Amino acid sequence: MSGHGTRVQQHIGDPVAEGAPLPRAKLEEIFADIQSDLRYDHELNGCLNCGICTATCPAAHYYDFSPREIVQLLWTENLEGIYDAMQEKIWACAQCYTCAARCPFGNSPGGLVMLMRETAIKHQMQSAKDVLRPFSRVMLKLISTGNQLSPDMINKDHFADWGPNVSKVEAPLKLLRKAIPLPTLNTTATAWEVNLKTSVELYTIWEMTGVLKQLEGIDENLYDVIQDIMDEKREDWKDFLAEQEEAKNE
Amino acid sequence: MNERFTGHGPEWRDSNLTPVEAKVATAWVEVKVDRRSMLTSKERVEDVRDAMWDLEKDGEIVVHRVRDEHQPAIVKTLYGWEKKIPTTRLWHHKSCGQCGNIPGYPASLLWLMNRMQIEYLDETDQTSCTAWNYHGSGIGNLESLAAVFLRNFHQAYVAAKAEGLPDGHYYPLVHCGTSFGNYKEVRGYLIRSAKLREKVRAILGRLGRLVDGKLLIPEEVVHYSEWLHVVRDRIAAMREIDCSEVRATVHPACHVYKMVPEDAIYDDTVLGGNRLANSTGLMQALGAQVIDYQTWYDCCGFGFRHIISEREFTRSFAIDRKIKVAVEEARADVMIGHDTGCITTLDKNQWIGKAAGKGVELAVLADCQFAALVCGAHPYKIVQSHWHASPTETLMDKLGIDWQAKKAEFVAYLEEIKNGRQENLYDPRRMLTSGPGFIPLKAAR
Repeated sequence: MSGHGTRVQQHIGDPVAEGAPLPRAKLEEIFADIQSDLRYDHELNGCLNCGICTATCPAAHYYDFSPREIVQLLWTENLEGIYDAMQEKIWACAQCYTCAARCPFGNSPGGLVMLMRETAIKHQMQSAKDVLRPFSRVMLKLISTGNQLSPDMINKDHFADWGPNVSKVEAPLKLLRKAIPLPTLNTTATAWEVNLKTSVELYTIWEMTGVLKQLEGIDENLYDVIQDIMDEKREDWKDFLAEQEEAKNE
Repeated sequence: MNERFTGHGPEWRDSNLTPVEAKVATAWVEVKVDRRSMLTSKERVEDVRDAMWDLEKDGEIVVHRVRDEHQPAIVKTLYGWEKKIPTTRLWHHKSCGQCGNIPGYPASLLWLMNRMQIEYLDETDQTSCTAWNYHGSGIGNLESLAAVFLRNFHQAYVAAKAEGLPDGHYYPLVHCGTSFGNYKEVRGYLIRSAKLREKVRAILGRLGRLVDGKLLIPEEVVHYSEWLHVVRDRIAAMREIDCSEVRATVHPACHVYKMVPEDAIYDDTVLGGNRLANSTGLMQALGAQVIDYQTWYDCCGFGFRHIISEREFTRSFAIDRKIKVAVEEARADVMIGHDTGCITTLDKNQWIGKAAGKGVELAVLADCQFAALVCGAHPYKIVQSHWHASPTETLMDKLGIDWQAKKAEFVAYLEEIKNGRQENLYDPRRMLTSGPGFIPLKAAR
């Protein structure tokens, strides 16, 4: 261990943990990524440590998490502390924005947490990979269909803690879905029927905004599965357009 | 002298306050997130719509207006600003969580609209806002959220073409609270940032979703609970079931009034104008007793990621801070909400409480479901209460609804569906406005 700096500066995060500290340049790169988001200056205006955000924070009731601490780390540019918080704490935030509604400075600790989460993903941090693994079926559903939740995801196997009354009428899911008087909702694999054109447009958005790249960095297998689905739907769309063209020429 | 390691540095000194003084000194942190606290605890913010009109004047954007034919009602928001709420010609922007797991939520809304002869379109050309995933995982970014927002709202603008009607005929009505909050936040950034506009203009251009080469920005982002609020007296006039004995607690959604708080509706006639008007105003108009409770301002515990993969937090918070308080303190018969995640969280996370000796039970419904129910909607065919895990039957008992008979009717109806006799709230052909299977309605007729 080099002799300069305080104990916190020498050790990243847990002072008793083993392992080499991250190079200063890497910490600066991570912070620069957080700071470069155009939302950063809008969501961080100053902090007097009043703690009103933490007093009202639901996550602070149950986790070692404090929005005040997140704001302080960013405000004081405590690079080691920021990196440390990105290992676990930022994932505790429930994203309710009560902190933002209450902060006398107009800060948005919840919004800042999102910038840190995005950066954790960009840097492919193991913490992000671990936290997001159980969330992968939501990501698969959303990125491939444009819906985040589908009726076939809600079943007693996946949500045993929701009890026996998840459906109070015993009937096949497909039939129960047909009994919803909105024709768009007579689906089981998506929350509503999504137009093929819509999905293809969404894929363009994912590609042009770097979302697929984010996903590839965090879960390569999921990325591959989604690529296959996208290719298939794009083929279907091309076929449809070709059919339309043919019909026009007939 | 005792050694102390407080972590506050050598300059720190104990204040030696008495318990009473300490309480006075810290009571302010417990202030509720209501209108008064938001008005007094911070500086007023700018109205982003002023900058929006300037951008349109400068030829940067096109504004999708709430026109006279949308028969708007005017409401007042946090700072007393006016907001236009369209009441007809509405494009339903659905919620994936509602449609996927609380289908009686949109069904009740459309049923009420049918009763009121409101013109609307429910079509397939829309994605979810993608913000649930974003807030849960961090996958996504400001550009993707903005592009999805503009794509969906552009579709709302042009959707009527499929029916031979002009652009702008329908105005988008957002069903999900998170979509509502997210879209408003994103709209603010789009209006403030030329850089963001430039990035998404390239995307929307590629999709063919610009208007005269410009981004289309909605004049107002409108949540369905705001629509319910402005038509609440018309709904109350349709009430068939007396609900004056019902003690209702309201859970306002964080993303509806804490995100972009300056756009939330407050009404002096609803709890003194100090609480969000949405839902509470409707329940009062229907004649129910709205009971206040100390954790009114708390979130539900949804957490976006937590509801899926860290549910111990979600259920603990939902039970301890919401359901238990509503049952024990407010002696409520029902908790009414106006957002997807909240209804799911509060409805589904009660049964597990028994494992921790917290066996509290409370019916949980969306505002429009309760309204439909007391206006005579079928509790299963329309309100679809069988998708709710909470004891909606207890509430129906209190309302004098013979739910067992209604359930039997529904089970018989399922047999009808097997024979191809399905009832819909609108002509199913209207749900397609383009793509495979689309037949222009005039041709279809």
